[in-house]
Amino acid sequence: MQSTFENRLLELLPRMRRFALGLAGHPADGDDLCQMTIERALARRDSWQEGTRLDSWMYRIMRNIWIDETRARSRRAQTFVDEEAGLGQGAAGAQEAAVELGDIDRALTSLPADQREAVLLVMVEGFSYREAAEVIGCPVGTLNSRLVRGRDALLAKLEEAA
Amino acid sequence: MTISDEQLAAFADGELTGDEQAAVAAAVAADPALAQAVARHRALREKLAARFAPVLDEPLPARLTASLAPLQAPSQTAPSADNVVPFPARARRRWGWAVAPALAASLALAIFLPRTGDGPAGAVDGVLAQTLDRQLVADQSGDADPRILLSFRRSGGDYCRAFAGSAQSGIACREDGGWHMVETAAGGAGQGTAYRQAGSSELMALAQEMAVGGALDAEAEQRAQAAGWQAQ
Repeated sequence: MQSTFENRLLELLPRMRRFALGLAGHPADGDDLCQMTIERALARRDSWQEGTRLDSWMYRIMRNIWIDETRARSRRAQTFVDEEAGLGQGAAGAQEAAVELGDIDRALTSLPADQREAVLLVMVEGFSYREAAEVIGCPVGTLNSRLVRGRDALLAKLEEAA
Repeated sequence: MTISDEQLAAFADGELTGDEQAAVAAAVAADPALAQAVARHRALREKLAARFAPVLDEPLPARLTASLAPLQAPSQTAPSADNVVPFPARARRRWGWAVAPALAASLALAIFLPRTGDGPAGAVDGVLAQTLDRQLVADQSGDADPRILLSFRRSGGDYCRAFAGSAQSGIACREDGGWHMVETAAGGAGQGTAYRQAGSSELMALAQEMAVGGALDAEAEQRAQAAGWQAQ
């Protein structure tokens, strides 16, 4: 039983890493996020109900950790970051400087968190709207409109970069 | 009928059914602009999927599989709850992801001395400046003091380096041909390892906030050093 749960997590790991990379925008950050997700999943394994989708449960954990972290970071940013450093994302010059990221990564990291997760869950991870909305914990209509906004912003940025 | 953006996206994603699906399909067939919008949406989806697909084939990092494969050799890095992971090991992590949330609220506020005054940030000279000029993350010795935690570029292109040492820790950025402190943390002198680690973790988190495009890898760092840390 125990090893089954862990084996299943192991099987999901490649997909979790993919989602984490998309959310975090950087491989090392993505793997940190993965590690935290695994730790939390192991600690809370009792709250997963046999018969429900384990992948959705894992995505939800990861997404919650990431959202919490993103909020904590933006609070810290308000406390510490001076006007010179700016708020990074979307600042003038950011696009040129991010030489090591591809156009797609840059465009993705410029999206607000709610749009980024919607885009990734549906367009990369292949969840249906209903499944993605369940992972996020929002109504399907909300997911749909976030997806539209995120998609339009991505298209605009990628076409601008091309 | 008028097709909303939401309907069009849902159509392109195969989410519509029944009458609604049929109505949108008819509208798309009759309107080249709508057809083009659907095509753009699908092309974007393919592009995104192709970008991330290779991740599925990457070897899994041992640190992620360690806790899921208990039958393998016991992990030597399994962290214990209250013990502090040795500083160098922690410092090799590029960012403070895992540790930041727990520390952010309490320790960070206590440790960081916000930059004072409105004038230019303090210039760095002496040994620290030399270290910032010369020391590379990739080849610094295990007990280097100060240790460079990471290098990155901030908005505007200036190179910055986060460092932690017994005397002082912080983030310095290259401006006008010299290093200037932009964030200062107390050094770890006379403090336990936990203190030093907390400081460096917070520095990582701060660096992450400032950085544009992530930390420099070893090659990029070497190039930056060769170019005298001048923003291009």
